[in-house]
Amino acid sequence: MPTSFLNLDWLGADLLTTLLVLPSLGALVLAFLPKDAKGAILGVAVGVAGLTFAASVLLGVRFNPATPGLTAFRVSKPWIPRFGIRYELGVDGLAVALILLTTLLTLSVLLVSCGQHLTRLKGYMAAFLILETGMLGSLVALDAILFYVFWEVMLVPMYFIIGIWGGKRRIYAAMKFFLFTMAGSLLMFVAILFVANVHLHRTGIQSFSLVDWTRAVASGAWRLPAGTEALLFWAFALAFLVKVPLWPLHTWLPDAHVEAPTGGSVILAGVLLKLGTYGLLRFAIPLFPGSAVRYTPLIAALALIGVVYGAWVAFAQKDMKKLVAYSSVSHLALVVLGIFAGTAMAVTGAIVQMVGHGLTTGLLFLLVGVLYERRHTREMADYGGVAARVPVTTTLFLVSALGSAGLPGLNGFVGEFLILGGVFSVNVLWCAIGATGMILGAVYLLTLVQKVFWGPDLVPENRTLTDMNGWELAGALPLIALVVALGVYPAPLLRLIGPSVDVVVQILRAKGMS
Amino acid sequence: MAGFLHVTAGDLAAVAPEIVLSLAGILLILLDAFARPTRPSFPYLSLAAIALANVVGAVAPGTWFAGAVETSALTRFVEMIALGGAALAILGGGAALSRDAKNLGEFYALLLWSAAGALLMAKGTDLLVVFIGLELMSIPLYVLAAWYREIPASAEAGMKYFLMGAFSSAILLYGVATLYGRTGTTSLTRLLGLATGASPFAFDPLVTVGTVAILAAVAFKLALVPFHSWAPDVYQGMTTPAVTFLSTVPKAAAAVFLIRLLHAIAPSGPGEPWRPLLSILAVASILFGNIVALSQRDLKRMLAYSGIAQMGYLAIALATFSRDALEGALVFLAGYLVTNAAAFLTVAALSSGETEPKTLADLAGLGRRNGAAAALLTLSMISLTGLPPTVGFIGKLLVFRSAIDAGLVFLALVGVFGSLVSVGYYLRVVYVLWMKEPTREVPLHEDDVMAGAAWLLLSAGILLFGLFPRGLIDVARAAAQAVGSR
Repeated sequence: MPTSFLNLDWLGADLLTTLLVLPSLGALVLAFLPKDAKGAILGVAVGVAGLTFAASVLLGVRFNPATPGLTAFRVSKPWIPRFGIRYELGVDGLAVALILLTTLLTLSVLLVSCGQHLTRLKGYMAAFLILETGMLGSLVALDAILFYVFWEVMLVPMYFIIGIWGGKRRIYAAMKFFLFTMAGSLLMFVAILFVANVHLHRTGIQSFSLVDWTRAVASGAWRLPAGTEALLFWAFALAFLVKVPLWPLHTWLPDAHVEAPTGGSVILAGVLLKLGTYGLLRFAIPLFPGSAVRYTPLIAALALIGVVYGAWVAFAQKDMKKLVAYSSVSHLALVVLGIFAGTAMAVTGAIVQMVGHGLTTGLLFLLVGVLYERRHTREMADYGGVAARVPVTTTLFLVSALGSAGLPGLNGFVGEFLILGGVFSVNVLWCAIGATGMILGAVYLLTLVQKVFWGPDLVPENRTLTDMNGWELAGALPLIALVVALGVYPAPLLRLIGPSVDVVVQILRAKGMS
Repeated sequence: MAGFLHVTAGDLAAVAPEIVLSLAGILLILLDAFARPTRPSFPYLSLAAIALANVVGAVAPGTWFAGAVETSALTRFVEMIALGGAALAILGGGAALSRDAKNLGEFYALLLWSAAGALLMAKGTDLLVVFIGLELMSIPLYVLAAWYREIPASAEAGMKYFLMGAFSSAILLYGVATLYGRTGTTSLTRLLGLATGASPFAFDPLVTVGTVAILAAVAFKLALVPFHSWAPDVYQGMTTPAVTFLSTVPKAAAAVFLIRLLHAIAPSGPGEPWRPLLSILAVASILFGNIVALSQRDLKRMLAYSGIAQMGYLAIALATFSRDALEGALVFLAGYLVTNAAAFLTVAALSSGETEPKTLADLAGLGRRNGAAAALLTLSMISLTGLPPTVGFIGKLLVFRSAIDAGLVFLALVGVFGSLVSVGYYLRVVYVLWMKEPTREVPLHEDDVMAGAAWLLLSAGILLFGLFPRGLIDVARAAAQAVGSR
């Protein structure tokens, strides 16, 4: 009974469409609520985010990892039939894992926001819900134009979240975020249209479907000249590498993170960055495997620079958020390295790390936000020895930091270990340099914990510091639970993503040997 | 030519919308002169006339007046755009004009006449009929440009628009005369027959000169670089509701005429020398319009430069000239109408009156004072940028897609580069609306029911055409097919 209700079968909608429509519908309802009805706004927003999360859990339960390719929950209806553009949705294990991460983090963010002081609450909640539709859409869309639509839909709400509820330099940060992301995606847009044209001429079929495209690639039907393929690969890859962000395209990230409100940072680090690596796995590599293999050394070099650079710069930060932001640059670079290393172990590690980084970094931003909410400063020097005053926050922060640093038993370790293990079999030097990222990570994260929570309690303003409230706990605890659970017993996640990993590895291996 | 003396009922039915609009305009003028108290009903009368024109416009396709006028899915498409543009200007305009006690009967009459001219221009398959339509469309707009004649900016706008418009009309006539001198006809259908017969025709120097002259005159109406210089001054000085009309309808009519002309001269698509020429116009307009718009602080001037850039995107479709491209051009024009009307009508609603300059700073804090207006303007800016899920995205998708299919990847790249630059000023409007504290109190008028109706229509149009573009594309496709068998 409850499953059929959530499935919305009675509305004639499928589960994936339900996932996409629910948050936007919630945003629409919010638009018609009066500004001052705080209770109703929170109720609708959290309720809708909760329903969406429940729907995604249902998706996860019903999903069978053995379903081949992207055929699970497949929806395919004409959207712009004239040009073969379809409303085509489908998921594999990778998408399901990231969908669960997305809906959970969104729910967490909205829960935490309930307990914090926010101006213009209605708009804030609506922006997150629209953003959620964009993120979920990017994960389930199989038609390239549809994917592009959702990809761009994410831009505007995030621009608002940073620009309205952000810090001092929020306008600059929001604009920079917007321009960097859009510059990348516009090139991808042209490349999508070009690829569709190639597909039409080579196969006689007008289609933007990723399924059709990958099939054509596998059968060698496109016959792209190497130069053209390289240009197309880079047009796609740049759009995704900006989002990741890979050094040297990362400069928007620290600005965006520092200026964004807590919720914005959590979603940005937790989901948006992952969509970059997701795009690499879903589009750039399967569509242009030859170029992906050819440019692996270059991308690996950039990733290695990113690993060390991100960690090194994070180490020098005095602002907590900036530190976590640069740690993201470092961690995500390791994920990119794992993806392009192309062994089953490395790719598995990369995907596990995508989920793991989403959880731990999301938590870190969330907990920094808890402190900021009370003290309105993120400078490490303004804290020190607050562990006794906020024991719960301290505990959760320590777990998150250790998870992020890759302590065995927490999920960060699983991902990083698998990546490095997989990379080792490809190139020992890459592995060695990548491992320094892990070591440096432990250093700067523990330094952060030490400076903020331990040591002498000297700053008088901290005397009034209160611990996390119920809303904040409700948002953070599920994430912590997952960090531990997936660290101790990662098998369900590995089973879920296994087939997706095999697909990518086979594609790369086929090209690597030929 | 004898056909003109034997006007049949079918001929009259073909131009029934023009007749309805013209008579309604005359009626309004008379009422204004002799029955002043009826004035408050003018918006409703005008809307009724537009609705009636729309109803009688649904005639069977065919050629009329001995082949001088054509009705087809294409003319019907332009008819919808022109009538829609006029209706939106009237819906949003009354309140804005009332505030300055400038809500006179002539405003409505002039708009209706101009719309009638746009219809005729699109229906004309004889260059002389097109010219008459063009003049009927333009002359009321010259008057509307100088609506606030006591204000120097408005007087300047009227004068500038009139002088430049008259000049471009002269060039158009010169082009028509040259074509006539070489080919002995002013009929587009007969030109088409000549073109398919002899291949050297396309490179005939006289035909080239004539076509370039007509192209220049049309580019003036479209405000393509380098024929754009009137646009910012006219937009700025003209009354804002009228700009809603000016910035969309004449451009649609002119674009459709240009499509007709190019098809007649080069039925297999504009190869040498038209494609390079149109590509240059497109690239210059996109780059110039977008880059100069970045430095504008006056809203209407900014939108004028944005309009120049937008017409550059249209010119990409004209340079491509495949059937897909024409379809894209029509979708783009329809999307441009709703998007641009949304921008100008919301701009018209705020301000202490039409006589005040409308600067970007006036928008500060509007998001909190009037969420509906700010949301619509935001939506309009997103659509102008070409971001999904708006109709602006669909238009650009179709235009760029057809350009890439025709091998004009370079034009598509210039187009997306322009879009990226345009983020700089479109997003600045969004920023000022929602993220900036007001520096001075700008009164806002929101109690107008008609403007509210227009806003609702426009936001629905921008979003629904963006989410479910199928119907619009089908209609545009049928219209594009009416251009000719290509």
